[in-house]
Amino acid sequence: MDLINPSPQVFERKDTDRKARTKQELAEDVRDPIDALEIFEHVRDLTDPEHPYTLEQLKVVSEDAITVKDDEGIVSVLFTPTVQHCSMATLIGLSLRVKLMQTLPSRFKVDIAVAPGSHSTEAAVNKQLNDKERVAAALENPNLLEMVNNCLAGSYR
Amino acid sequence: MSKLKHLQTLAGHTDRAWNLAWSPNGDTLASCSGDKTVRLWTRKCPGSEEWVCSAILEEAQARTIRCCSWAPGGRQLATASFDATTAIWEVQGGVWEQVALLEGHENEVKGVAWSPSGSLIATCSRDKSIWIWEALPGNEYECVDVKQGHAQDVKAVVWHPDGEILISCSYDDTIKLWRESDDEWVCEQTLTGPGLGHTSTVWGAAFKRGGECMVSCSDDCTLKVWACKSRDGELWWAPLATLSGYHDRTVYSVDWSASGAIASGSGDNSICVFEEEEIASSDVNPQQKPSFQLSIRKLDAHPTDVNCVRWHPKDPSLLASAGDDGCIRLWRYQKGLDMAGNMLEAGSAIESSMT
Repeated sequence: MDLINPSPQVFERKDTDRKARTKQELAEDVRDPIDALEIFEHVRDLTDPEHPYTLEQLKVVSEDAITVKDDEGIVSVLFTPTVQHCSMATLIGLSLRVKLMQTLPSRFKVDIAVAPGSHSTEAAVNKQLNDKERVAAALENPNLLEMVNNCLAGSYR
Repeated sequence: MSKLKHLQTLAGHTDRAWNLAWSPNGDTLASCSGDKTVRLWTRKCPGSEEWVCSAILEEAQARTIRCCSWAPGGRQLATASFDATTAIWEVQGGVWEQVALLEGHENEVKGVAWSPSGSLIATCSRDKSIWIWEALPGNEYECVDVKQGHAQDVKAVVWHPDGEILISCSYDDTIKLWRESDDEWVCEQTLTGPGLGHTSTVWGAAFKRGGECMVSCSDDCTLKVWACKSRDGELWWAPLATLSGYHDRTVYSVDWSASGAIASGSGDNSICVFEEEEIASSDVNPQQKPSFQLSIRKLDAHPTDVNCVRWHPKDPSLLASAGDDGCIRLWRYQKGLDMAGNMLEAGSAIESSMT
């Protein structure tokens, strides 16, 4: 099969250690709100469906494109497919959703979308990724689930 | 103040609860789930306020059971599954048995609705089609029509109370009205378009008891009320009101009670109840459209998305809801201030005088 993007640009993994921890963050009896960096840590090492690189290395996901409203329980992730016509966009989006469903407390609502202007069928991809009935049905499909699990595997290493 | 008082939480499903259906006499509540089962809930003993799980229907369908619908006699239950089938269940010798399997859709069946007369069943699917099945004696079911017309998945099908109109709600943002004409169901009207229709997936709809109005709910976070009008001798559905600003996320379900209250359930975890504003008979103006007012907004009705709300058919203040938490909740709705804004209903007046 021809690759959709035969030679993607690969970037280095960023060092994102939390440099400055506030006194409050270090206190053990205080609940730390979930922030964009924490979400990024969950999704940065997902593997691209067609390359042996992580979504971070391909700049598909970045900390800047993640918004968290901890008090309202809303997480929003924008991702940027490597090419405009990427047919893997829904698979990447689905993998992001599954990863966050598995790791976040159920009180969180997760919105996944391609970054504005980054995909030729942006509205259609976004609508599909945020229709939970379609997502539920997709995850009952063994072939699709296997592809999702392949993308997720790297993030558990 | 109106109230939505939590009565009971029915736990048992091990995955998201998708849909609910009260049996026509209100004795049984059916719920279906991503756990591939249907649960039937009945009162613990006659007259009891406590509901318990009295039967689990399972192993007939291999994937999520998305929707369930009772035959009008309450003797059979139809269940639609992502495995592309619709199962028919019936009590035989005191036990619920699967007595038929309706096969034909290419993929996920998302909605099923038994017609008010009991002679027809409508199903809809991700394959964009609507199938009409005729119920024949001896638990035989024959497909009598297949309707294409929607551009995307069909999310729900609902019969008009007189059984002559079927409506379908779709991922293509439209609602279609179908009517039988010369042995064929034809699309008579499509509710769509700027300023008129919904702007995203339509998830469900419900008719007012008399059938003269219906309400639809959508991913666009609104409810829309539609009225049946007569134009040049033909019946036509026209927009009456848009209820917006009440839900922050997708509205998955809507239902209209026998006493006229509209309930909606949403991905924002809340349930809203709306009442039609009563217009005093002295100032009835035929041009004046009825308006709908929020009676109560119950935040965190479930700790998750609310997927379904259904009023009890005989006890119009009893509401059931189903959520992503897998739980069913029962609620007592007490209408407080009437829409004129100053008089309390008898029930809540008594309660408030005692507190």
